[in-house]
Amino acid sequence: MDEPALIQSAQRGDLDAFNTLVLHYQDALFNTALRILGDDDLAADATQDAFLSAFQHLNSYRGGSFKAWLHRTVTNACYDELRRKKRRPATPLEPDSNDGDEMDSPRWLADPRLTPEQQAEADELEHAIQHCLDALPVEFRAVVVLADLQGLDYTEVAAAIHAPLGTIKSRLARARLRLQECLQGSAELLPVAFRLQEEQS
Amino acid sequence: MNPRDLELLSAYLDGQLNSSDSARLESRLASDESLRAALDNLRATHILFRQLPTRRAPRNFTLTPQMAGIKPPAPRAVPVFRFATAIATFLFVITFVINGLISLSAPSFAAARIPSAAGAAPSTAHQESAPAAQAPALPLAASAPTETSSPRLMSAAPMTTEVPISSGAGSVPRTAGSSTPEMVLKSNAPQVENAQPMNVQRNELSLPFDLEILFGFLAIGFGITTWTLPRNNERSFRKKWNKK
Repeated sequence: MDEPALIQSAQRGDLDAFNTLVLHYQDALFNTALRILGDDDLAADATQDAFLSAFQHLNSYRGGSFKAWLHRTVTNACYDELRRKKRRPATPLEPDSNDGDEMDSPRWLADPRLTPEQQAEADELEHAIQHCLDALPVEFRAVVVLADLQGLDYTEVAAAIHAPLGTIKSRLARARLRLQECLQGSAELLPVAFRLQEEQS
Repeated sequence: MNPRDLELLSAYLDGQLNSSDSARLESRLASDESLRAALDNLRATHILFRQLPTRRAPRNFTLTPQMAGIKPPAPRAVPVFRFATAIATFLFVITFVINGLISLSAPSFAAARIPSAAGAAPSTAHQESAPAAQAPALPLAASAPTETSSPRLMSAAPMTTEVPISSGAGSVPRTAGSSTPEMVLKSNAPQVENAQPMNVQRNELSLPFDLEILFGFLAIGFGITTWTLPRNNERSFRKKWNKK
């Protein structure tokens, strides 16, 4: 994929070129939104809003990491969603089953490549980490998701969050410490394999 | 652990420390067991966090032209039809107004004739010789010079039978009576000749009703085409996009 050429075409209004970029980045942006918001539907809305906003403001992109620039739009969309969520009643993370109970592992989220045991373990781990992520202040959450989950470097995170580099370093360190404390405190939520690893470390 | 050490350890994990800071921290880690334990814990958390499964997007987030607010370029014929609509509307309005004014002025044409026929003040040489003909001359005076219209209007008698507007047939004897016999004789010859051109002039003044209707239909037709052409174009653009 010739990213610079696609960006240039998209800046001239070529929607096909932009959609090629969308297909390339949609998983990353959706995962960022999902970890910041902790809700599939809200994450999907935020991702769609982010891509729409990105297309409308594509001319404001002046080079640099396009991934970081896109993550900036999705982070902003997540902040907007969170503000909206505050004004609306909360939506449960898991959908209800037929008998009214919450489903721990929604069927449509299952990865077909995993065995049922692996899927169950992945669900447990995801649940535990998301639980701890949700406990973080949103600005810490965004930094740790972008740096540790998306693998953005400090400069890219600073560009995405629109904050100084020192602030990013500080927030990331504190976010990691809080996550560590949370995961140690709620070890019963972690799958057994990961609990043992924790104990060994 | 103090916040400064925490930041150093976190940056060290990410390889973001410069060589001197990194060397200094490594020497401390070699001697400080608690600092080493803190680094191990942070690393374990970091590794665990990276185990978080990556989800696939539940759907494609590609944008449609409608979402992106993109409209297909308007067909080239649209400005032409827009201009044609404007012209047809303008012509329709003009014909409508002209015909309307003429039909409005027709009753006053007839009404004004009787009182003015009795005592209209002469204003031109011809009017002096034909004072009774002054009244019919008034409405036409706007479009035709008085000097030329006056002799014709003296021949109002034959006209009145043909043009219902100037139905003041009673003015004929008065016209004749108020003129000298010589003048009547003098004016009778051109009157008969002028009767036909007079009618033509009246008919020329009021534009054909068919023309008004034609312009009206043209304006509506062009207007509808101007309105539907971009919409049809947009619909086919969307269909083409959805097929992709």
